[in-house]
Amino acid sequence: MKDKALEIKNLSVNLGGINVLQNINFSLEKGEIAALVGPNGAGKSTLIKAVLRLLPYKGEINILGRANKGKGLYKVGYVPQYFSFDLEFPLTVNEFLSFNPKLKDKREIDKSLKEVEMFDYKDSKLAKLSGGQKQRILIAQAILSDPELLFLDEPTTGIDASGERGFYEIIEHLNKVHGTTIVMSSHELSMVYKYADKVICLNQEMYCSGDPNKTITKDVLEKLYGKDTELKPHSH
Amino acid sequence: MLEIFELAFMQRALITGIILAVVLSYLGILVILRKMSFFADGIAHSSLAGVAIGVLASFYPLLSAIAFSLLMGLLIYYLEEKSKLSSDTIIGIIFSSGLALGAMLMSFKSGYQPELISFLFGNILAITWLDLIIIATVGFLIVLFVKLYYKKLVLISLNKDLAQAQGLKGKSLKLFFYLALSTAVVLAIKVLGLILASALLIIPVATAKSFSKSLKHLNFLAIFIGIITVFLGLLLSYYFDLSTGPTIVLLGAVFFFFSLLFKKD
Repeated sequence: MKDKALEIKNLSVNLGGINVLQNINFSLEKGEIAALVGPNGAGKSTLIKAVLRLLPYKGEINILGRANKGKGLYKVGYVPQYFSFDLEFPLTVNEFLSFNPKLKDKREIDKSLKEVEMFDYKDSKLAKLSGGQKQRILIAQAILSDPELLFLDEPTTGIDASGERGFYEIIEHLNKVHGTTIVMSSHELSMVYKYADKVICLNQEMYCSGDPNKTITKDVLEKLYGKDTELKPHSH
Repeated sequence: MLEIFELAFMQRALITGIILAVVLSYLGILVILRKMSFFADGIAHSSLAGVAIGVLASFYPLLSAIAFSLLMGLLIYYLEEKSKLSSDTIIGIIFSSGLALGAMLMSFKSGYQPELISFLFGNILAITWLDLIIIATVGFLIVLFVKLYYKKLVLISLNKDLAQAQGLKGKSLKLFFYLALSTAVVLAIKVLGLILASALLIIPVATAKSFSKSLKHLNFLAIFIGIITVFLGLLLSYYFDLSTGPTIVLLGAVFFFFSLLFKKD
């Protein structure tokens, strides 16, 4: 049996008196790509932030066989949802990556930029890049420390169709070549069918967990998104 | 033309001005990145209460203003963390109540109050050696501490969640920056006055931003523009008999508007 990359037991998150997540239980094997799906406000970002200890939670989280406490997150990378700042702020890609406190050797910057096919943009201003290019740079910063588990929060929001395709190809490359376990929240059910090994359906509570082609039923979709939701499964 | 700098008070003015240009331009990059110019204005204005306490208690007003501004920086941080009020609202309250408290306390002192006018609009030509030593020492410590944490402060300003996920302590870095900024702004009130103190934080960086190729380049250019603005502002105010603080600020604004005309993209 493979080792667990992530184990979540009885996870609940209460923010300002509101139960954002209740009684979430699931686990991921090493090397899996998992998609968190659900409508806006379902708690997808909250779940990721709880695992990253950005929000307080109740329950048990184990990452790569270790309890989620102590100093720093072990072998974990994160690509946040939004990344916008002053368009004239002249921070270069190289400067941004070199600020990562997990960076030990500056040569790792070149390596991770090549991984995401952005090496030619090393001295470009970060703010001037397109949404898709910025997202690749965020992946480059996340893989600087060679993580075994990578979290991506709505990674394709604001990216055009071709940028989105290229983005998922990078994710697939990280997973297949480097064996990185991926957890990403997504609205794109078609991409979930195409790339994810496992889907976790959330809407404050957990409605499903498993193989997308078997798990996402009409009943589950109705619970998540309401009635009149169309089911269009894709095969790998 | 430069013989005016043979005068001791002009030497003190120039050295103090250059120190402040370096400190404020350096911090100004983070202020602009974090969109915190109102914070700087709020602290500067509320420091009138600190000045008034010093004047009434016959205590050195710059130090009482620094102590008071640190308290206000701490209060803004606490209220931002503990209340659901927006930062804008909190700073607006601190801004006006500090200014009102200062005005009320000042009214207890009878007669003409040259120190009040000096702190309101600044008087770089009245800088004493004690002022200079305090501004240089505190300014040096601020730059040193900010330099030590600079990368972390930039990262946390860009995206708090990302920085914390990378292991940085967001809250303590934010508090540290608030206190450094509160102190730096108040250092400038003797020169530019509490009304104009935040100008050297914002204008040189805003001018340098559109010509900078990188953050490193921006650091250098903003500090250079800050120093040139102070130097030329001093010269102009001396030869045309103008108020020094406002001359420095207006000259900075002229540079900024010219930069808009000549910026590349």
